[in-house]
Amino acid sequence: MVTLADCVPVPLCLPALREMFEARKRVFVDLLKWDVPVLEDRYEIDQFDDEHAAYLIVPDDHGGHAGSARLLQTLRPHILDTLFLDLCAAPPPRGPDVLEITRFCLDRGQGAQGRLETRNRLVSGLVRYALDNGVQTYVGVAEMGWLQQILAFGWRCRPLGLPRMIDGRMLGALHIDISPDTPALLEAEGIYRPAPLQRLEILEAA
Amino acid sequence: MHPFERAELFLRDVSETNTESELADALGVVSRELGFAYFALTHHVDMRRAVQPAIRLHNYPGDWVEYYDENSLGVSDPVHRASHLTSVGFAWSEIPRMIAMTPRDHEILMRGEGRGIGDGFTVPANVPGESNGSCSFANPKGTPLREEDLPIAQLVGAFAFEAARKLWRVRALPQPPLPRLTDRQRECILWVARGKSDWEISRILGIQHETVVRHLKQARERYGVGKRTMLAVQALFDGSISFTDILKR
Repeated sequence: MVTLADCVPVPLCLPALREMFEARKRVFVDLLKWDVPVLEDRYEIDQFDDEHAAYLIVPDDHGGHAGSARLLQTLRPHILDTLFLDLCAAPPPRGPDVLEITRFCLDRGQGAQGRLETRNRLVSGLVRYALDNGVQTYVGVAEMGWLQQILAFGWRCRPLGLPRMIDGRMLGALHIDISPDTPALLEAEGIYRPAPLQRLEILEAA
Repeated sequence: MHPFERAELFLRDVSETNTESELADALGVVSRELGFAYFALTHHVDMRRAVQPAIRLHNYPGDWVEYYDENSLGVSDPVHRASHLTSVGFAWSEIPRMIAMTPRDHEILMRGEGRGIGDGFTVPANVPGESNGSCSFANPKGTPLREEDLPIAQLVGAFAFEAARKLWRVRALPQPPLPRLTDRQRECILWVARGKSDWEISRILGIQHETVVRHLKQARERYGVGKRTMLAVQALFDGSISFTDILKR
């Protein structure tokens, strides 16, 4: 089961999402040393974390955060068109059926095997979400090492432009095709984990 | 033609191949277009001892490949060792800055130079859970690299490696399931890796000495090893513990 949270007016106010913002800080700021804003020395959160973002969260055995990803609408300002236009040789794809995958985060405390399993569940959840919601294209920016992994998931990918060195990291922009045969492509790589998406019920924000 | 358009053309050539020899041919053509005489796309294993079918596509001279395999250079090659430290493509001239080169490393590079493989650009291709690999493009020593083409080489290397993975996947033998450790077994192994005796571990974890002995015995059985040292090494190798786990407190 993968949790889906969307249309959340102030995501940080939702206790179920706070663990995600804490994990994002541990991974993207503490480990990867990204230059991104941090709130209260605890939460990694930026201007794209609003009611238009959707979050997929893979729970661990205790219902906590094992992994998560954020999906941004390409018809609104997003990471690729706002920060990394240089990575695209042509205007980046846009549309109601095009979403951007951002903040793909795997919790650090899982061991390598656990991380791979969470990664596979999260990628499978992204495919499930796309098929359930008529999304035909995912776009995203990735560092070269991660880009090689993304190709190895088995889905159809192509670059959107030449990779570039940005702030000491070699980054590339990718276009990922989602179609009804995508689960089979992932299955062929041994990484497909079919699971239902469960929407988070938003009660009164704490 | 815009550099990205060239890259897209190369990617199409390389990704639309259905056999290993088609992929090798496509890579040969693309390498030449990028100004390289040679290419080598390979897993970093000892080709003569690899248990799983290992990827290797290249157009290097035959006698160099023989020397290479006879000396198991697939695992010790300085170019490969450097590629494990980065995910960004690098020129071979940068290698002395990336790894500590031994006299043997210098000898290997000199022998390669003698066979016309002197200056190159290597794109690392490291997929977690699999052998490390790379895609290298090479020329005789002294041939300058075309800087503007290196981002194209980076993309070609990454997509070509993935194309090779797909072709090789059909050959892979079924993997035996990896040993799964209990949390306690993993904890004990971590302290073994930190140099503690069974008795010391029992004090640190606040459990009985015999319990530690049992945890480690069961862990050794799961891995099929007889020695504590090999237990730590195997656990590191399959990612059950990491260097960071061991060295940071």
